Amino acid sequence: MNVVKIILHIGILILFYLVGTWIQQALDLFIPGSIIGMLLLLVALLMRKFNPAWIHDGATLLINHLVLLFIPVTIGILEYLHLFSGRGLLLIPIVLVSTVLVMITAGFVSQTLVKRREKEYE
Amino acid sequence: MSEVLIGIGGILFTLILYMLTRALNKRFPHPITLPIFVSTIIGILILLLFQIPYETYMIGGNIIEWLLGPAVVALAYPLYKQWELLKKNPIPIIVGVSIGASIGITFVILIAKWMKFDDDIIFSLIPENSTTAVATEVTKSIGGIPSLTAVFVMIAGIGGAVIGPTLLRLFKIDHYLGKGVGMGTASHAIGTSKIMEDGEKEGAFSTVAMTICAVVISIISPLMAYLFL
Repeated sequence: MNVVKIILHIGILILFYLVGTWIQQALDLFIPGSIIGMLLLLVALLMRKFNPAWIHDGATLLINHLVLLFIPVTIGILEYLHLFSGRGLLLIPIVLVSTVLVMITAGFVSQTLVKRREKEYE
Repeated sequence: MSEVLIGIGGILFTLILYMLTRALNKRFPHPITLPIFVSTIIGILILLLFQIPYETYMIGGNIIEWLLGPAVVALAYPLYKQWELLKKNPIPIIVGVSIGASIGITFVILIAKWMKFDDDIIFSLIPENSTTAVATEVTKSIGGIPSLTAVFVMIAGIGGAVIGPTLLRLFKIDHYLGKGVGMGTASHAIGTSKIMEDGEKEGAFSTVAMTICAVVISIISPLMAYLFL
């Protein structure tokens, strides 16, 4: 059954999430538990200790519909609308300028490095 | 009405909102009709119109939000599938993403501090260039406001998708790896879907950059927050 499979797969992902959260709390780390869980799963996959087929359906479903999971968080801005009045409006250009900076530097640096490497091979 | 019914109502409301806005975006594809943007606005309007407190909606909403944790774990799977791509160009991708992300974080912290914004707002700005799932988790761990962060992430994504192609051309970033890494680092999934129009390679590197960026941001955000604030 496909539905059973998806639920099982998501169950495994939840397990990694809980382990990640537990590690975060036990070691008092600043990195979110979900990221720790993700890194654990990545290492398990790369070391071939873990069969990707065990999570494929669940992971694909969650990732394809990530936006659905964000909706409750973004609707929460309703409680902070007052922040976007007056001076708070400046937060929008701040975010946009930072996005421009990130895009140019990340793009420029990676392009320069990869072009240099491609030249070495020629 | 019992809590359970209100909870189910909240979940159904979110599901329907998602399905309708997704259909709208399929019909009129544009960054401005993205489900995340349209569903937020319609959702807020409906809650305000029917005077439903956010807390009431969140009885069901919390269950959906909780799934973000396992969804972040699931990101290991695409990263695993793209590992070969990353292995061929580890230095350009990792260095490009890290420098880009660090400059973005330093910029928002310094300018927001200079403008005397409250600390919780500055914390909320820090992870704005990572994907929403990771950004809200990071913001929780450093003391920001998840909803605020989610909106900043949305602005970074839609803004980057709209101005990105022009920006990249202007700065002569024309190599598929540079374009992908620039877009993925700055504008996560929304930017990635935009740059995919340029080609499959651009899209693939943008996806890798977005995932690496999420990991980098979740590690350096607490450090930078500690350093500057």
